Amino acid sequence: MRPWAAAILYAVLGAITFVVCFPLLWAISTSLKPKDEIFRWPPTLWPENITFEAYRELLFGGSVASAPGAGVAPSAYFLTWFGNSIIVSVGSTIISITVATLAAYSLTRFRFWGQRAVPYIAILGYMVPSVIFVFPMFLTMVSLDLTDTLFSLILGYVCITLPFCLWLMWAFFRGVPIEIEEAALVDGASRLQVFRQIVLPVALPGIIAASIFSLIVSWNDYLFGRVFMNTMENLPLTVGVMHFFDGTHVDWALMMASSVLMTLPMAILFGFMQRHLVAGFGAGAVKG
Amino acid sequence: MKFRLSDRQVGVLFMLPLILAVAVFLVWPIAEAVRLSFVRYNPLRPDDQPFVGLDNYLFVLEDPLFWESFWQAIVWTGWSTVLQAVIGVGLAMLLHQPLKGMNAFRGLLLFPYIVPTVVIALNWRWLFNSEIGIVNHLLMSAGVIDDRIAWLSTPTMAMTSAILLNVWKYTPFVVIVVLARLQTIPTELYDAAKVDGAGAFRRFRDITLPQLAEVLAVVIVFRTIWTFNKFEEIYLLTRGGPGTSTYNLALYAFDQSIANLRMGVGAAAGVIMLLLLLAGSMLYIRVSGFGREDKAA
Repeated sequence: MRPWAAAILYAVLGAITFVVCFPLLWAISTSLKPKDEIFRWPPTLWPENITFEAYRELLFGGSVASAPGAGVAPSAYFLTWFGNSIIVSVGSTIISITVATLAAYSLTRFRFWGQRAVPYIAILGYMVPSVIFVFPMFLTMVSLDLTDTLFSLILGYVCITLPFCLWLMWAFFRGVPIEIEEAALVDGASRLQVFRQIVLPVALPGIIAASIFSLIVSWNDYLFGRVFMNTMENLPLTVGVMHFFDGTHVDWALMMASSVLMTLPMAILFGFMQRHLVAGFGAGAVKG
Repeated sequence: MKFRLSDRQVGVLFMLPLILAVAVFLVWPIAEAVRLSFVRYNPLRPDDQPFVGLDNYLFVLEDPLFWESFWQAIVWTGWSTVLQAVIGVGLAMLLHQPLKGMNAFRGLLLFPYIVPTVVIALNWRWLFNSEIGIVNHLLMSAGVIDDRIAWLSTPTMAMTSAILLNVWKYTPFVVIVVLARLQTIPTELYDAAKVDGAGAFRRFRDITLPQLAEVLAVVIVFRTIWTFNKFEEIYLLTRGGPGTSTYNLALYAFDQSIANLRMGVGAAAGVIMLLLLLAGSMLYIRVSGFGREDKAA
């Protein structure tokens, strides 16, 4: 490529990247502004006086609302919500990945009746929107007396994570050559030994990619948490932070600081695992 | 002595959790949704569920709000999908260029996909705040507009903001899929076309587009189905407002179930969504040749 063409390309890509990243840069900038600067017009692009007040309130707050008798401020729950979100995302991911990995292995190594239906079932589940799952699942949780528990949320998320985990693992196992396994079987290893010692290590990249997608989907969900949960202490992060809107006055620094903190775990995962992610996207298994 | 499972037993054993999970997490909720759509169900009186036949469906189909939501969903889906496809292909072409440091650009441009919808909705409300939002400020100082735009409180602008949000978040999906396909187009095709004297535009029209056609069709079907049924993107940004001007069918079903306590009506709307989705899936299976061993993924 000629140097001037490369220069133009860099400029165009730089401009697009800036526009795409702007909402998050603006969130960071806002989260660092003192209250009076937030409401200034025209707005300052970068805070004149940087303050970490909003982060302090979220992470070490436990602060009580200023109005007397108003009880505990929603921001005091932030870390609890954060923990809840980690528990439910990891919980549902473990279930979905385990089920999907075992089934995908079986599907690609054995022949049995009804096998051809599985991919169709996976794609159907993959396309059904959560708004259809959520109320039947909620009513089931009510009759099992499980509402408002983190466990119910874990089960709810399996509805939306399992189909694409299955699809991704299935696509992955079809690409893993069978010869090494056959050699080990001929040498007298049992099927379970082969699975543990040969198949699982080879499948690790696929498992990682599927896990990341599953974590992202359950971490980002709002609907299930909104319908299943009531008590402030039990909310996932996504539902919790919407409570910051409850008052008449919106604390934008607090909102933006929680936005930043909420995106951070996924951003870190994404940064480390970008290679695996693209592999997963390539296999066509993404929920959106 | 060691207990050993036969091959056959392992195969069945590994499938059992999936069969159970599909029954519990897929078949059961859908069957339950279909059942609910035929009963009157007020969640405050769970023991009283009289069978009402097609009443819920008739209620939905005679409800002007349902049809308003339906047409708004088509506007929302149409614009979102077209913009995502066009911008997505353009970006993928840019990102496909052999350039140093391209991986960094790729990473940053794919980033919106993993940002939680709640976060984007909050950011959008702040960016597009009519009083002190940065978007109005930038547009005014650039001289594009004279007065502040009330982004989220007028019907057209609220829909526009919601579509922009959706495009921002999901264009990366198109980029990744198209980029993966671009990388498999043999470069010989382009070299041959260059020798024949084809310009950049003709190479795009005669080589790139035909090669992308299949994957693009699949992506567009997928994005159409998902966008049509989106709930959180709209609900968290506008709550369907102002008024009901950004309702789609998902918001309609949610509203009936939660706000109006008509679970049966909500379920009927859900089943209608499901039928539309099945029609869309048929299209997908047609377009992609899904299920044929060699290209099922």
